[in-house]
Amino acid sequence: MTAVPAPAGSFPAARRFGAVLPLLRGVLALAAVLAAVELIVIALGIRPYVLPRPSAVFEAILRTPAAYRDAIIRTGLETLYGFAAGALFGIGIGIAFSRLRFLRETVFPIFIVSQTIPVIAFGALVVMWFGNTILAKSVIVFYLTFFPVTVNTLLGMRAVDQKQVQLLKSFGASEGEILRKLRFPTALPHIFVALRISSALGLAGAVVGEWFGDTTGLGVLLLQGMYAENMVAIWASVFCSALLGVALFSAIGFAERRIVFWGGSDA
Amino acid sequence: MKRRSFLSTLGAVASAAMIGAPAMAEDLEKVSLRLKWLPQAQFVGFYMAKAKGYYADEGLDLTINPGGPNLLTENLVATGSDTFGLSGGTDSVFAAIEKGLPITCIGIAHQETPFVFVSKADGPVQELADFQDASITTWFTGANYVLYAMLAANGLDRSTMNIQPQQVSVTPFVDGQVDVVTATRYNEYYTLMTRVGEENLKRFVPEDFGVSFPRDTLIVGNDWAAEHPELVQGFVRASVKGWLDTFADKGAAIDLILKEAPTLDRAHQEFMLDEIEKIMMAGAAATDGLFAIDMDAVGKAHQIMVDYEVLEGPIDLGKAFDSQYVDAIPAAERLPK
Repeated sequence: MTAVPAPAGSFPAARRFGAVLPLLRGVLALAAVLAAVELIVIALGIRPYVLPRPSAVFEAILRTPAAYRDAIIRTGLETLYGFAAGALFGIGIGIAFSRLRFLRETVFPIFIVSQTIPVIAFGALVVMWFGNTILAKSVIVFYLTFFPVTVNTLLGMRAVDQKQVQLLKSFGASEGEILRKLRFPTALPHIFVALRISSALGLAGAVVGEWFGDTTGLGVLLLQGMYAENMVAIWASVFCSALLGVALFSAIGFAERRIVFWGGSDA
Repeated sequence: MKRRSFLSTLGAVASAAMIGAPAMAEDLEKVSLRLKWLPQAQFVGFYMAKAKGYYADEGLDLTINPGGPNLLTENLVATGSDTFGLSGGTDSVFAAIEKGLPITCIGIAHQETPFVFVSKADGPVQELADFQDASITTWFTGANYVLYAMLAANGLDRSTMNIQPQQVSVTPFVDGQVDVVTATRYNEYYTLMTRVGEENLKRFVPEDFGVSFPRDTLIVGNDWAAEHPELVQGFVRASVKGWLDTFADKGAAIDLILKEAPTLDRAHQEFMLDEIEKIMMAGAAATDGLFAIDMDAVGKAHQIMVDYEVLEGPIDLGKAFDSQYVDAIPAAERLPK
């Protein structure tokens, strides 16, 4: 695509391989760790209810693959909806806070107070208001994700070098143009940091949200496993949650590299 | 396009979650039953009644909502979020009535205490008197009062005993850090059996020591019941039929619950259903049939809660428990054939 070919990018196949390589390395590392755990468990004779063999965990997943697949999809959707809403809201309100002092001084403290309430405390309320719907879980995810994004957006918007602002002003740029071309791009690396943090928080929120009366999802499988002290089932849902979390995190990293091409936190 | 598929997915999932099953005839009354926990054999009779269309026969389009930790069934029924509930037990009904929640108990599923206290057969605790010097764990959500009452009824002073709150796992007991552990007969006891072996366990059953604590109570909101007495009646009738079918064909019942929650362990669910059958058919239910409200047993449990000042004073049991709906069904129709 570029005029100057990079060494690895000279051939499409090589370039594609270059993109897959880190993923492959990750999978190999994970496989090595799991194999090591398997050997340690067998060698030390660790009892299955302390730590089950990874192969037993995979067997459990493969015995009812549809249940785990549905759970991943359901929890993934809950997280995605809530996270998208939380991210958009957080960015929007963060920008608004940076521009409107009045709003910042009146609404921001309420946000802070809202974050001091543990999600477990209002989980029952969410069920009363939204029922057992995917919306209820997404609301919990939203609640956990919007705040870090708001704080970091505000921080990023204010991290602008005032000399650059004055320079643009001297060229006759409007406030709107300065926002679009300077402040927002400056804030983007900060925003992506918040998005990464929020993705993990949001997933945890979705899992816990499912503890308030639901029938599908990783949180439900986890709860069922805990109730029956079925360690294999617990680890199976932990593993699926980890997969989902890594996928979300990587997707955000990928978006960041594309959007903050000049180098953000990932540089 | 993206937005549309997002909305349609959201809509589809939301409606699937709310309706639960394809909508049937238009004139069915939409109602819901909130369970005390996630789907498992403990509740399969309700799923059976739904699968066989017994609720629909009574004019009800019933959705079964699972419970979870921190979800109080009484609250959800009192606020109208759910129509019916299978709530914690007589203890949670007492507490709800004391708080003034507008709910009534219309049936009791577990006729006797569903949990026991367990020690090791070769351990230091061989009889109740040995609790004195043992380390004991129990749930501080009601089970502790049953234990206190058992000890008091047998002249033992609990104030000098080492009684700690029990966490989720029974592992401390298995590993010998704890001498006496609390276990529901259908869940934790199964875990203990698989880890320690039943022959190595000793059970202390509250009923053997003169204490009983009926649990798993069917509740309904007062306003709704006043407006729809015939539907409450229908709900109870359909539930009884579902449970009798469950006990008549347990294999089919286990298949049904595993379809609902596929990751559950079949052997454990089979054991659970056997125990649930014993608990549901015990006491007054043995002669009067399923969901019998034994005011004698309720009164005793109530007295424990008053004695230990969990309740500030006695509550009006006649108002809190209403057996008209179960009584309207002849005992013969509430007993297995």
